[in-house]
Amino acid sequence: MKIDITNLTIKKAHESLKKGDFTAVELTRSYLNEIATKNKDVHAYLEVFDDALEAAKKADEIIADFNKKIGSADSEKDFPMLCGIPFAIKDNILIKGKTASSASKILEHYKATYYATAALRLAKEGAIFLGRTNMDEFAMGGSTENSAYGPTKNPHDLSRVPGGTSGGSAAAVASNMALVALGSDTGGSIRQPSSFCGVVGLKPTYGAVSRYGLMAAVSSFDQIGPIANTVEDAEIVFNVIYGKDAKDGTTIIEGVSPTYPLKRIGKKKPVIGIPRAFMSLGGIDPAVKSEFEAAEKKFKDMGYEIKDIELPANKYALSVYYILNFAEVSSNMARYDGVKYGLHVDGKDGIDDYFKTRRAGLGREVIRRILLGTYVLSSGYYDAYYNRANAVRRMITDDFKKAFEGVDIIATPTTPGPAFKIGEKSNDPMAMYLEDIFTVTANLTGLPAMSIPMQISKEAKKEKATQLPLGLQLTARHGDERTLFETGKDFLGELE
Amino acid sequence: MITTAELEHLAKLARIDLSEDDKKSLIKEFDSILGYIDQLKKADVKMDAEGRVGAVKNVTRPDEAVKTSAEDRERLLDEAPDREEDFIAVKKIIAQD
Repeated sequence: MKIDITNLTIKKAHESLKKGDFTAVELTRSYLNEIATKNKDVHAYLEVFDDALEAAKKADEIIADFNKKIGSADSEKDFPMLCGIPFAIKDNILIKGKTASSASKILEHYKATYYATAALRLAKEGAIFLGRTNMDEFAMGGSTENSAYGPTKNPHDLSRVPGGTSGGSAAAVASNMALVALGSDTGGSIRQPSSFCGVVGLKPTYGAVSRYGLMAAVSSFDQIGPIANTVEDAEIVFNVIYGKDAKDGTTIIEGVSPTYPLKRIGKKKPVIGIPRAFMSLGGIDPAVKSEFEAAEKKFKDMGYEIKDIELPANKYALSVYYILNFAEVSSNMARYDGVKYGLHVDGKDGIDDYFKTRRAGLGREVIRRILLGTYVLSSGYYDAYYNRANAVRRMITDDFKKAFEGVDIIATPTTPGPAFKIGEKSNDPMAMYLEDIFTVTANLTGLPAMSIPMQISKEAKKEKATQLPLGLQLTARHGDERTLFETGKDFLGELE
Repeated sequence: MITTAELEHLAKLARIDLSEDDKKSLIKEFDSILGYIDQLKKADVKMDAEGRVGAVKNVTRPDEAVKTSAEDRERLLDEAPDREEDFIAVKKIIAQD
């Protein structure tokens, strides 16, 4: 049968696989066909795996085995929800035996020697990995233009960026080249491309998902999370990948949903806080402003209480974020030295090998951040930058804690504007950094945050100032992904 | 704000070769980026020890050797740009005079 992948969700696919409407092989083939048609224009994938169909066959065997046991003594309730579900995986998440390059020249031929825990949890459910997706090199950027292998295009307008750094994963889901994807989020790298591509993206609570096997960018910010068509799909994936992992000491066991005890202020529906003073910082696009106002009205009409909140220290958020980003990047990137793995360029002696290898293998943005990080960590500047940034980071975290004494959700736009043109900001790093103004706070505080499509209806979209997707960002208390999912589903009408 | 000599020193610490063109554009970019993040100096913040460290704590595991299969060991060694038997080969670091 012809599978309609434009309207598919994980649950629908699961039910169809169960009923035998189609097999995992047929489903995977549908996505591979879509990739064969679209990827040359969108460039979401750096590589399509040649064993995807083989994995799909194995998934079909699991399903057949389940069907055989129905009615017998050892019959099971259901086969795993993600069995046979086709995924796109960001190029900085390791899949054993596959190339993982972080879209960098320095890892062009690097083959992962082990599985990232998040990828392994998906594989154990029988999920299919279609391929690895493009990104900004080592997760540094906001447009996927910093890939050493060329930019990804926004499927809604090929002259525009898909956002970044998980631009390939977001573009793949938005253009039906994958049912769902994994990305990573350091300062908005899941949420901003999800906003630009019109899909759902979740940055989980810091410590909720293991980063074992995720190439480190900024260790105190990085989280792996899902990019999906619906909030429900994001929730299903989150429920598989979250949890304590002995291989990542930052993973937490207590206080992460879905076991999180709800401490909601709102009796019927969560109370939503809007930080108006923070939102007026820096040039917010008129289209974003009017869509956000419409979203606010919709929440009110649905019976949500809206409160104004203050986040005074947020005006320093971007400065704090980038100082800590540069500092941690400069130390994390030290491992790429051309000795243990990756590119090696010969110099005149051992030390010179490092200089030559790193210059040849690392891109401009990565080099820029390594040098800026070396600068802010230098003696004489350490107190003024790194220590000060950590202290202000705590102020920002305290502001959020205080705000959550009165509200359950904080809502802002995900980005100040819609997807910009390819090349528009690539020569001005500071302009690119300003894109992250609304997203970095979730990484600074460790709070969970999700971007969902903000436009209310396709009809409304036609009359609006922009045809491009825009995202609404919801932030919740530490560990309270559940409230994000419930509110997101309610807003998008997924509960109907 | 940053001089060429300072930039060259940073590049030396970070072990990255820079061309003259790189240096020119980096100095300009440093100015615009440091110009922005310098607003942090205006923040009224208490610089106590806790704030400096950030919200992290040490997590330890038992001091036990982790077993690796021969196959995985081979895979790891195979990733090295230069290998001699079961060693990763690098250039001599002590010169013979």
